[in-house]
Amino acid sequence: MEPGIAGAWELLRQARDVFHDDAAALAVVADLQDRLEGPLRIAVAGMVKAGKSTLLNAIIGEEIAPTDAGECTRVVTWYRYGHTPKITLYPFTGGPRTLPVTREDGRLVFSLGDVQAGVVERLVVDWPAASLRDLTLIDTPGIASLSQDVSGRSTAFLLPEDAPMAADAVIYLMRHLHASDVRFLESFKDTAAGQSGTVNALAVLSRADEIGAGRIDSLISAAVIADRYSRDQSLRPLALGVVPVAGLLAQSSRTMRQSDVEAMKQLAQMDKNHRERLMLSADRFVRVAGPEGLDQDMKASLVQRFGLFGIRLAVALIRGGTTDPTELAHELARRSGLGRLLDTIEYLFQTRADALKARAAVVGLQSLLGVAPTGRTASLEAALERLQTGAHEFRELKLLAALRTGGIGIGPEQTAEAERLVGGRGSTVALRLGLEPDASAGHISEAARDCLNRWRLIAENPLTDPSGLEACRVVIRSCEGMLAAMPAVR
Amino acid sequence: MAETVRMTTLVEQGMALVGERNDLRRRLENTRNRLQDPSVRVIVVGEFKQGKSQLVNALVNAPVCPVDDDIATTVPTVIRQGDPASAVVLVPSADGPTPDAGLEGDSGGPEGGLERQPVHLDQLAEYVSEKGNPGNAKKIVAAEVLLPRKLLAGGLTVVDSPGVGGLGSTHTLTTLTALPSAHAVVFVSDASQEYTEPEMRFLRQAMRISPNVVCVLSKTDLYPSWRQIAELDRKHLADVGPGIPLFPVSSELRLQAARLQDTELNAESGFPALIAHLRNNIVGEAARIQRRSVGHDLLSVTENLRLALQSELGALENPEGTPQMIAGLKAAKEDADQLRKRSARWQITLNDGIGDLIADMEYDLKDRLRRIQREAETAIDHGDPGPAWEQFTQWLEQSTAAAVSDTFVWTSERAQWLATQVADHFSEDEVALPALKVSDTGGVLDPVADIQMMEDGRLGPLQKVLIGMRGSYGGVLMFGLLTGIFGMALINPLSVGAGLLLGRKAFREDKAARLKQRQSEAKILVRKHVDDVVFQVGKQLKDRLRLVQRATRDHFTEIAEEHHRSLAESVAAAQKAAATYAVERDMRIKDIRNQLKGVDALSKAAQQVQEDQSLENQPNQAPSAVPAG
Repeated sequence: MEPGIAGAWELLRQARDVFHDDAAALAVVADLQDRLEGPLRIAVAGMVKAGKSTLLNAIIGEEIAPTDAGECTRVVTWYRYGHTPKITLYPFTGGPRTLPVTREDGRLVFSLGDVQAGVVERLVVDWPAASLRDLTLIDTPGIASLSQDVSGRSTAFLLPEDAPMAADAVIYLMRHLHASDVRFLESFKDTAAGQSGTVNALAVLSRADEIGAGRIDSLISAAVIADRYSRDQSLRPLALGVVPVAGLLAQSSRTMRQSDVEAMKQLAQMDKNHRERLMLSADRFVRVAGPEGLDQDMKASLVQRFGLFGIRLAVALIRGGTTDPTELAHELARRSGLGRLLDTIEYLFQTRADALKARAAVVGLQSLLGVAPTGRTASLEAALERLQTGAHEFRELKLLAALRTGGIGIGPEQTAEAERLVGGRGSTVALRLGLEPDASAGHISEAARDCLNRWRLIAENPLTDPSGLEACRVVIRSCEGMLAAMPAVR
Repeated sequence: MAETVRMTTLVEQGMALVGERNDLRRRLENTRNRLQDPSVRVIVVGEFKQGKSQLVNALVNAPVCPVDDDIATTVPTVIRQGDPASAVVLVPSADGPTPDAGLEGDSGGPEGGLERQPVHLDQLAEYVSEKGNPGNAKKIVAAEVLLPRKLLAGGLTVVDSPGVGGLGSTHTLTTLTALPSAHAVVFVSDASQEYTEPEMRFLRQAMRISPNVVCVLSKTDLYPSWRQIAELDRKHLADVGPGIPLFPVSSELRLQAARLQDTELNAESGFPALIAHLRNNIVGEAARIQRRSVGHDLLSVTENLRLALQSELGALENPEGTPQMIAGLKAAKEDADQLRKRSARWQITLNDGIGDLIADMEYDLKDRLRRIQREAETAIDHGDPGPAWEQFTQWLEQSTAAAVSDTFVWTSERAQWLATQVADHFSEDEVALPALKVSDTGGVLDPVADIQMMEDGRLGPLQKVLIGMRGSYGGVLMFGLLTGIFGMALINPLSVGAGLLLGRKAFREDKAARLKQRQSEAKILVRKHVDDVVFQVGKQLKDRLRLVQRATRDHFTEIAEEHHRSLAESVAAAQKAAATYAVERDMRIKDIRNQLKGVDALSKAAQQVQEDQSLENQPNQAPSAVPAG
């Protein structure tokens, strides 16, 4: 059995041969090749004002994507790694053009000039940020927007009707689980998963600090709610997990300046009663004369960038003894939930980036074959078919989707275990086996062998539902794969 | 309250004047009853997690509605004036709900078949919140809280509703069905973002049912850029309709202000403007309408009285003109008589209109439900309905409820239109329309039986073995006998193998047959449910429309009757006057003059009530001066 990515390469090579005289098809194949070579593409989607651009800035670690109180992102924008900053505009018809790189307060300004937003397919921003090296992020306009065409652009990008989706995975932002969210995720799964048989969305409970009205324990409540959502029957088949993130705080903590820290320290030194009265509302915070040396502009900037929750938390941390600026920024980032989100992205998507990209290539090739004349593509189709059913990564992804939708003929406990073993909670060996990340090799192989034996017994049990057998086979293969990766102990 | 007292006195004076005219007395009694039940319902709606409950708490300065970071309110909570503070929950009574007429006054609401259980105010959260009462397991219809508050003294009743747009879209329905009984709707959205598409859709829907909408931008304390959001929202509101007010408020600041007794903080919370609007425009408007209708009733009563008195007086003072006057009155009486008759044109309009309406309504309901049925059948064909039956029934129930409420709203609009159509037949400038309420769907679906449960299609191990055995039995026997010819035992490897194969086949076939069976069973259940809904709801809608017909007919007949009777009495009085002797005549003239003076005084007072402007500027002075609605 060849691994998915190598198989995909081989397929693309064959496709190049088959379509050697078809320029349009070759362009598609070249695109797919780019996709296999490049970093994983993750789209950030969600309802309007869910905080997509803010979270994107937080992940990149720089405030480059424009954000505003009103609806802001109107065009699908890609952020990828490049040595020098560059903005390219791709219209639906005609060649790409380069836009001038202008920044206002650090944020990029996309001046489309005389081009209507409606004719722009996408903007591509090349940016020299380290975090973009192994991740291409795609910012999308909000769904459920009042201007239909803005929402329409997002839907057209995320739920294309005739082509595979341009992103390998989706981070879906929601403030609460709104009916529109579920509807979108359902149709997302219908198009994306119908073709490739997988769940590749991660839900984020964004603006988590606002859930508890900016109280200092807001994120604890948010975590409880996220946990409830992750067990929600209507969300489970649609998303791999729910992570609470306070996007604004995450963004600002990564771009915190020395002057911010100084201001926070001054606030922390204020009399408690006075400070609490000051922080009753954002308006008061700016208007009421505060500690000496803090002018209104500075305070307005603070509350704009950190929110009342961020300021409260920072003040509490400083009073608790965290006075070192770097440490404070780290602690704020950690508490904002950004760390957990990055970890989740890492183990859910990055560790299986190859499989996700290979799958995208396979789906892309499939839709190419769908429109090509049949005669000469027969061998290619056969190879495609072989890869799809043969490659273990694809079968794992497929099983994962099936497990989350339920209806596999095995009990709930076994379903949970199978989900973990095929990498539903992360693709590293330790996570699959449910062990600590620093478990010893001996321990790991022992656990893997246990699982293998147990699942063999389940598979051989005559009372196991026939539909569950296929699942058992995939799980057994996963266990064998893990054991095979531990040659020393064997 | 002074205003109410004044109007009640006027109405009682009127009742003293009407004397033997029972028809007029009945009308004034109705007026008095309306006056004695001052209730202005303001319902607070919006998407979930926008701070609706907190807004209500801040309005009354008491933590009556539970507030939580997760979804909190599941049951509508009604807050009205009352002393001492107390709370009750409304649960369906054991003897089953009775379908209510849907035509009663504003205050009552659908309380037929409901039981009131007093609860402790502190424990209310255990009944109305998602936490204490998950999924409304306690089956509470509503909660009612009585609070001694100046704000509520004017008859203001605030209703906190569960948020819409959440996953349980039943909440949306509960909220929409409650709207028709409300005088005004407070639409809450927080300052984190401008209106979204679902919010605007809900707002438009709500405006269709209750046009008196007040928008509130909540949580301004949390978002520094709320002014920008307010500006954007105002633009969106201008697209929906002109003159919808928007109030940015901060409930937190208001509650804090109450705790610290800080007026500056209170002013900053934005609540004073909202409360002033509720008082002057909503309660004030309701009071104005009340005042106008009381004035109208009184005026029309005095007109009726004056007609008889004046014709008699005319006949007494001017005997020569009497025959002419009598002829004129008789002609008018003839006209009024026409209106009274069953064959009157307005009666025909009404009867035809209701007939059409019932037919249209039945078609509309069936059409909506048939669409749902078709959708359901497609869904069943696509998969095994067994395991997902519970979710499926939930979906089915929700979509039928939505369809029914749509039909109700539509029917109500048509009924109102019909009433104005009928009123056109009356030549009087301003004929009061009857109060019709068809769109209230509370309890309509109650008599519809629950959808039956279905087995989920999972087989226990024993069943599986039995089904397998049944198939394999024949195989073992057949091949055992066959191989027996070659001298082998009945149970031998060959026969057992054949048995296993056949057993497996039997099991598979059985499984496919079971799936088919489940699918057709599910379809039958869906069809049964839809039929049941059409039957029960159709019956209730028909009943209600008949009630509408009866109410409309009675209402207009009464007007015609009054008119007719006044004219008849005038004729009689004029005739009597012609035959009166001179001595008695002077006395009678004096008597009538006196009576007319009383009627004139009342009429003047009624006119004053109708046009009174002086009282409208008072509400700011003291809340107790707010006229009751």
